[in-house]
Parts: sequence; C-alpha cells; structure tokens
Amino acid sequence: MVSYDQIIIGGGLSGLAAGIRLARFGFKVLILEKHTIPGGLNSYYFRQGRLLETGLHAMTNYAPPGSKSAPLNRLFRQLKLSRKKFPTHQQLRSTIYFPDHHTLSFSNDLDLLRREVKRLFPESLDRFNALVELVSSHDPFVDRPWASARDRLAAILDNERLTNMLLWPLMMYGSCNEHDMDFDQFVIMFQAVYLEGFFRPAGTIKDFLDTLLDHYRALGGEIRFRAPVKRFWISGGLVGAVLLESGEEIACRQVISTAGYPATLGFMAGDNAPAEEAARYGGRMSFVEIINVLPAECRKDLRGDETIIFYNLDEPFDYRRPEQAVNVDCGVICFPENFRDLEPGAEFQLRVTHPANYEVWKSFDPVKYAAKKQFWADRSSERVGEIIGNYREKVVYQDVFTPTTIEKFTGKVNGAIYGSPVKLKEGTTPLSNLFVAGTDQGYLGIVGAMLSGVTMVNKHIFKEN
Amino acid sequence: MTRDEIKDVVLEIIQDIDEDGEVENLNADAPLRDQLDLDSMDFLDIVMELRKRYQLQIPEGDYPELASLSSCVNYLEPRLKDV
Repeated sequence: MVSYDQIIIGGGLSGLAAGIRLARFGFKVLILEKHTIPGGLNSYYFRQGRLLETGLHAMTNYAPPGSKSAPLNRLFRQLKLSRKKFPTHQQLRSTIYFPDHHTLSFSNDLDLLRREVKRLFPESLDRFNALVELVSSHDPFVDRPWASARDRLAAILDNERLTNMLLWPLMMYGSCNEHDMDFDQFVIMFQAVYLEGFFRPAGTIKDFLDTLLDHYRALGGEIRFRAPVKRFWISGGLVGAVLLESGEEIACRQVISTAGYPATLGFMAGDNAPAEEAARYGGRMSFVEIINVLPAECRKDLRGDETIIFYNLDEPFDYRRPEQAVNVDCGVICFPENFRDLEPGAEFQLRVTHPANYEVWKSFDPVKYAAKKQFWADRSSERVGEIIGNYREKVVYQDVFTPTTIEKFTGKVNGAIYGSPVKLKEGTTPLSNLFVAGTDQGYLGIVGAMLSGVTMVNKHIFKEN
Repeated sequence: MTRDEIKDVVLEIIQDIDEDGEVENLNADAPLRDQLDLDSMDFLDIVMELRKRYQLQIPEGDYPELASLSSCVNYLEPRLKDV
C-alpha cells in the first residue's frame, strides 16, 4: 500500500495552506481533491471563454507589507511566500445600505467609518469609539462558550439600527448562525473587515491558486485531483488508511480533513453514518449568486464608485434562511473591477449574492430548476436595479449558482458555505490522528481559511512530532 | 559544530523565516522575539527547521531555551556537537 506521513482531504485554501506548511518541513504529504481543479469554495470556472470566479468578492484582513503582526503577513511568513512579491489592490470603498436612506460607507481607513457614524448617528459616536477600543484589545482566540454578539452590542451601542448595520456585512461574510453571531466571531470579522479591510490580489483567483499549487509542489507536496474519499479504515481509535471511491487504499500517520465536519463524520462511519449526528453540524445559511457581465459603456449609468454594497431593505432586519427560494430584499452587490489601480476592460462584472433556501432548490426537478434560476435572476436584477440603476437589459452574459450547485462542487452539506453552526475550535475529533481544518474549525474568509490550515498543522502535527 | 557555526545557522534560519529580519545588530542576550518582532508561530519555524536539517527533536517544554541568541547556542551546543 502507498503510504504518506499526512493525507489532507480537500485542495481548497485551508488544505493547500496545511500542505505547504507540511511539505516545507520535509513531511511526505498528499492532498486529495475530488474536483478537477483546486480552490474549493474559492475557485473558478470557464464559460464562453470567460474566467468566472466563485467565492472571492474581496479578501479581508488587508495589511501593507512590513507590519509583522498583521494576520495577512503572518500567513505569508508561515507559508514561506514573499509578501513583497504579492501585489494587491485595495478596495475603493464599500457601503452598508438600509431603509430610510440610511447608508454607512467604510474603506480600509477607519476614519471614513467614524465620520459616517458621526453623520448618521451623532449621538452614538462615543459608544461606537468604545466598541472599536474593545474590539482592538479583545483576544477572540481564547476558547470561550458561545456568546450573543447582539446582546453585547445592545449594551455597548444602545442603538438598534447602528447595531444591525454594522452586523450585516459581517453576517453576510461569515456567519453560519441565523439571527445572531458569536461575539468572538464578531470580533474576528470586525477586525478583518472594518479595521483591516478589503483587497484583492493582482490577477484572478486562478493565478493565486496556481501560485500556491506551484509552491506546494516545488516543496515536494503531492496532490491528486478527481480523487474523492469514500471512507477511513480505522483501528484502535486511529485512521490507518484512507479508501478512495476508486477502490485504492492509501496509508497515513495523520489525516487533516477540510471537507466539513458532516462529510468527515461520513468518512468515519462508512455505511453506518449517523444521520442525526451529521445533521447537527449541517448549516442552514446558503446563498444564490448571480454573475452578470456587462459592456464597459454601461458603467457610467450605474451607481458605482463602490467595491461592495451590502444592502438590506427588509423590515425588521434579520439574517436568516428565507422561506422562499431566494430573498432579493437583501444581498451583496460586488463590482470586482472596483479596486484601486485596476485597468478597466471591455466588459465588467456585477456579482450579486442573496440568502437562499437549500431545501426549496433541492426540491425542484431539472426543468423547474432552470426556470427558477432565470426567474430569481430577473427578480434580483429588478431589486438591485432600484439601488444602482437599471442594468437588466444590458447583461451580455449571466450565470447563476444556487445552494445545490455549491453542494455539488464543494461538498458543503446543504450548500452551507460558512459551515457548521457548531465550530470545532480545537480541530480535534474522536480519532486521535484525525483533525479538521477550514470552515468548520472556525476561521472564515480566504485569509482565515488559510490560517486555519496553518494553525492546525502547527498545533497538532508539529508540536507532536 | 562550534558555537560560532551554531550561531550562524540560527541567524540564517531567522533570515530565511523573515524577509524583513535585520539580524546584523542583534543583542545576543536579549529576547529575539522583541528585537525581531516575531511571534510564537515564527519560533515554531526555528524548531521545525532544526528538526528538518539535523533531525533534532525539541520538546515544547524546551522552547523557552531558544529565547535569545546566546541561550539558543547554549542549548544547541551539546545537541549538535557531532554534526
């Protein structure tokens, strides 16, 4: 039987980061990816000669080269990648858009958000500044029980609208819980989004993934595509080998699974997977995304010196799985070309994301499914058009992906991109040589996912060897 | 290895970890962490690099021995004497 020091399940960003870390220090490591390309939740596909990105709107945790303690730069050091040779483009600005013409803009300079809070809620500025102080000094990585961010914010801000407006982008960008989020998670996201900010790498997500993959291979790491895992062979409380769907068995000393905890439980139990246990770790929040391609000349007719608009027109505000297939009354509007110093092309993209209901999409037969995709894409264009100007007739290419698309390509149960509502902060499992990393371990976003892979390797493999 | 050789190896490893690291004017007896603005994740890299190069196993309880350049050399001298 072929044998490795470590097998990593999943060639997404957390799996690639974990793999680079292991290969860098001479471990014999194999990544198993079921899809034909890497990236997982942050990947790409081609349609009509266009490269379309999935997942990536913007990376969070912006930091200029040189500031050593910033998460982004720590990550680059850990992966032995040069931060100086990684060109980035910062966001222009982003806006939180609520009913009654309540808007708050923010950028990678906190002063803009301070001025906006002062403009809209002058009575709450001191309390907002107190929140910033608290978030800056709070260590969210201490293991604590779940605590309601809403309750803490009610006490600190005493302003429900401001609380909802600040929560909205953070929830849309990373809350696996409906209605509320864990306070530690809120702090992580507040730092990542409002204190550090948005940017994107120069080039596409494909270029970024290629860089990581080349680096991993140059360090001696191996990866297999189209290699879905069927189950583990377990003896004496340890994974001894991994059985692939192809029937091949591969032995290993340790396994890091980034497939999500429900799928990992399935690998552990084989044919006797306990459905209730897996259901406990299945998230409810999933999304529909509509990628619109528009000709460059339409740009001037649309609102849009913003990178991202987080809008909510629902009253009362709530972050939840909708009853119907899609809720177009709230969402995220992203202009991936609106970053500093990007040259405009002949076309531009407008990407819109809305909360969606997995069960409803799952219930459609293929004919109805295709019709519903078109129906909801049209409803989305109408609603978003009210905010940024009408663009529906000008779309030259449109693609829609749904919770079932996400489930199919990423293996995330229920298409729940932010994973399980129960996070495994320690990354340990009932098997002593099996660890989880990625979304269900608790870090979010591209930088967070990669730090998860790094941290789990440092903690469970390096310190034990 | 001699003490000087060990010192050079440690400095080389630090420079390899941190592209901005300025190791020329280090005070050998002061904590490396403060002088180089490195964190515990970076220190783990020193441990792992020594493991990779010399098959040297450093238990977690001994990590404080690597705090300064002098203490690194003191700790590593007996362990690398046959290298």
